[in-house]
Order: sequence, then C-alpha cells, then structure tokens
Amino acid sequence: MIDTPSVDWLALSPTLALLGASAVALLVAVLLPAWMRKGVAAGATFLGFALAAVLAGVVYEDTPRPEALLANSMYRDRLAALAAVVLAVIGAVVVLVSWAERRRDNHGEYYALLAAAGAGMVFFVGAGNLMTLFLGLEWFSISLYVLVALDTDRATSLEAGLKYLIVGGFGSAVLLFGSALVYGATGELGFSQIAAAEAGQDAFLVAGLAMILAGLAFKVSAAPFHMWTPDVYQGAPTSVTAFMSAATKTAALVLTLRLLVTAFPEESEIWTVAVAVIASVSMVWGNLAALAQRDVKRLLAYSSIAQAGFMLIGVAAYSERGGEALLYYLVVYSAMSVGAFAVVAVRERELAKPVTLEGLAGLGWERPLYGLALWVFMLGFAGFPLTGGIFAKLFVFSAAYDSGDWWLVLLGVAATAVSLAYYLNVVRWLYMRTAAGTPLVAVGGSPPHDPAVGVAVAACAVVTVGSFFVVQPILDLASEAVDSLPF
Amino acid sequence: MNGPGIGWYVIVAAILFATGAMGVMLRRSPLIVLLSLEIMLNAGNLTLVAFSRQAGNLDGQIFALAVMAVAAGEVAVGLGLIVAMARRRLALDVDQASALRG
Repeated sequence: MIDTPSVDWLALSPTLALLGASAVALLVAVLLPAWMRKGVAAGATFLGFALAAVLAGVVYEDTPRPEALLANSMYRDRLAALAAVVLAVIGAVVVLVSWAERRRDNHGEYYALLAAAGAGMVFFVGAGNLMTLFLGLEWFSISLYVLVALDTDRATSLEAGLKYLIVGGFGSAVLLFGSALVYGATGELGFSQIAAAEAGQDAFLVAGLAMILAGLAFKVSAAPFHMWTPDVYQGAPTSVTAFMSAATKTAALVLTLRLLVTAFPEESEIWTVAVAVIASVSMVWGNLAALAQRDVKRLLAYSSIAQAGFMLIGVAAYSERGGEALLYYLVVYSAMSVGAFAVVAVRERELAKPVTLEGLAGLGWERPLYGLALWVFMLGFAGFPLTGGIFAKLFVFSAAYDSGDWWLVLLGVAATAVSLAYYLNVVRWLYMRTAAGTPLVAVGGSPPHDPAVGVAVAACAVVTVGSFFVVQPILDLASEAVDSLPF
Repeated sequence: MNGPGIGWYVIVAAILFATGAMGVMLRRSPLIVLLSLEIMLNAGNLTLVAFSRQAGNLDGQIFALAVMAVAAGEVAVGLGLIVAMARRRLALDVDQASALRG
C-alpha cells in the first residue's frame, strides 16, 4: 500500500481559485453568445483574483511558521502568501484597466490567459524545489507569450510576442541547465536540501548558480539580460504591459530572494557580489537609456529596468532588512507601474495611436485627474516625498549600507539624480500646451467614458501616496513575511 | 555505474547546449530558432537524467519528463505565433522583425 500524500488544499487555494476563473473565462469564449462574453469573462476573472487575494490573506494569517508541502516541493509561508496577495491585487486592478481595451472578439481568451498567468505566478512564489520553480516560471511565461501577441491584427504585437518567446525561452533554457548542474553537484532539487547537501563538485554548483541567476534576471528584466524588455513592453497591449511590469517583477524578485537565501547560503559571498553588479548595471543602463526615449511605453520600460536595479539592491544586501525593503519597494513599485501604464492606456485609446511624449502634451489640462495621477506616479518613481517611493529607496539604501555596500548607495543616489531628468520631463509634457490648432481628438472620436480604468488609476494613486503615510503596517507585514526565510 | 562516466554525459550536454545557443543567436528563421531552443532544453534534460543516475534518486528523471511537456507547450505557442505571422504575410525572418526599436 502506497501512502497517498496529504494535500494542503488551503495553501494551494489561491492558485486553484485563479485556475477556476481561467477555466470559466475560457468556457465563456465557447459557450456564451458574443454579447455576454466580455462581461462574464471579465467578471469571473476579477472575482477569481479577488478570491485569490482573500484566500492568500487567510493563508498569511493561518501560517505563523513556514511549512514544506508535497515532498518539499512547495512552501506554505508568509512570504509566499504576502506575494500572492500583492500579485492577486495587481491582477484585479489589471482586469479593470483591460475593460475598455479595444479588441477583436477574444475577450474569453484574454481573461483566461490573464488568470492563468496570475495562477502561475502565485504558484511560482511558493516554489520549494528547482522543478516547481521551472514549472511555475514556464507556466506564467507561456501565458504571457500569448497575451503579448494577442492583438494579432497589429504587426508590432506579433513581433513583440515572438521576441519575448525567443528571449524568454532562451532564459528558461539557461535556468534549466543551471538547475541540472546544481542537481548534479548536490543530488538534490529541494531548496533547503541543496543548502544542507555537501557540495561535491564545487565548479558545477557555482556554474549552476550563475546560470539560474541569469535565468531569473531575464524574468526580472535586469540589465544585462533586459534587451527584450523595451520591445516587448512597447509592442504588447498596454494592459498586458501593466500586468507584466508589476506582476512578473514581483514574482521573479520574491523567488530570487527565496532561492538565494534558502538554497545558497554557503555561496552568499559569490551571489551577493553578482546581484550587486546586476543591480548597478541595471540602474545605470536603465536610467541612461530612458533619457533618450520618445515613446512613453518604451520610456517606462527602461524605467522599470532601472527600478529592478534598485529592488535588487535589497536582495544583494542579504539581510532581513534587505528583504523587508524589497517587499515594501515591490508594493509601491507595483502600484506606480500599473497606474502609469493605465494612464498611458487611457491616452492611447483616446488618440488611437501609440503614445509618445508629444502625445501626452496637454493631458494634464484635458483630463486633470489622470494628469495628476501620472504626476504622482512619476514623482513616486523618482523617489519624492509624499509618495512611498522615497521610503522604498531609503530602505533599500539603508539595507545596503548596513551590509557594507556603500558603493551601491552612492551609485543608487547618482542614478536617482539622473532619473529625475526623464521623470520630470514626462510631467513637463503633461502640462505642455498643445501646438495651436492641433486637435488631439481620436480618429474614431473620443472613446466612451470608462469608469473602470478610473477606479484602477485611483486605487494605484491611493497606494502610492498611502504607502508614505502607513509605512509601519506595511513594514510589519513584510518583516513577518521575511521571517519565514532562514537568514 | 556501467557505461561511460558522468563526465562524458555532461560534455555531450554542454556541446548540445552551446549548439542550441548558437542557433538561437545566429539563425534567422524563427522555425530554426525554436528548434535550437528545443536543443537547449534537451541538453538540460540529458544532464538531469545523467545526474539522476549518478545521485541514485529519480528526482532528475521526473524533472526531465516535466520539462518535455513544458517544451512541447512552448513550441506549440511558438508555432502558433509563426502561423499568425505567416497569415499576415510578415517576413519570417528574425532580423527583419525590427519595427520595435529605439
């Protein structure tokens, strides 16, 4: 008689809720008449994300100490639960942003893939061995490849999808080969078992660690593994870009922290340096390249590369404070990123063409609230007070300083100073008077009033500003989450 | 263990991986690029199976089976994209896909 493993359904429930939503949305595309599809699919997906957030919150409350599930392949702990809450809230907000997106009749597929990608990410952040890591990564990546290319009537969407598939597939293959080498060196796949194993062939272990780190850096879109990011962010449907920029980074960064701290504590001298180098290259390259951009989505893509660099400082610090700083940064960054792309989506629907800086001109006068929101997000990215952006940067810098990486702090401050130029440039364009007589009305007339995206932008702005005033509660949550890692 | 030592398996896998990586970087047809990605993934599989034999547990073999399923999914999406591009009469050439740049 073989023992059947007992399955902790509560720990898996956020993933299952999203998979359920995905299945409903997919069936909707087949079974319901065309006019009902969008409403039902979007509703089901929104409910799925909301339910996943609630369930993940229950798991957080219910898990004072970390547990390993299913033959150590998954972790049930507060880090995974907190990340799942953040991911599910991002997903729910993105559903609101997507509502008014003009698309052919593929609403069912779109929402099904969005929920599936969310499910993959929620699964991924709880991964406990190299196999679940790879499976989770591919799960959400393959969903995202299709989502990016979903506007098949736009050549740029297809091009972005193909590029993402090729570069993403390359990154996954590198990660897989690295996992195989680590397995070869230790004979184990589980994170904590890898840490406990006597590393036999040290060269394999270090080479494998380097390749895994490179594979994850592709997903975090940290330089020098970022080359796909601007093209894909620009070519993808804007709501998908919003989701990718916030959720993929959250999932990949949380897992990077978990993997490095849990599986490779012995090699920390190597990987802290490697992560610090990746972080500094990202900050420098992202910020410098962003200065030259005219297309707003491209500019935000380079900005996201630079922000990934700032967040990786928290990982490189290799301390509890660094982990807390990373989680706080992720909450603030996700809100700013989704919000900024949502405003870009609004403008794009209005102009019916890609938004350049010139395309933003006058937005601050025509739509004062959206303009104000974008202003808040840009100031937040740049790290101004009255947004959580300032504490996010301060926390990662102080964590780096505590760990002795003072040069990262200097570089970070310099990079922040450079970034002011393009963030404030966006704000300047917002309030630029349009050239006399240039009508900024869309080709097909103004799009219908869309309260859903308004709610989404407002929610993002509230989190961005609110995180400045309620720092301590967020930090407490983050600190309890980080406690589940063996620092 | 009978047969060649573990080192040979790793060498073959490394050659496969390098072949695949060069294919992804140098070839222009997206079909060949997808094929090269498969070769890279299979290099990982070969390593996993070889090390699984060495370590005396089955974790690596189970991993390799899962990777095969995932690779099939990835290729299905890739082929779907290529078909969609061919239908729109876009050039099936990675170097010419350069509408997005800056």
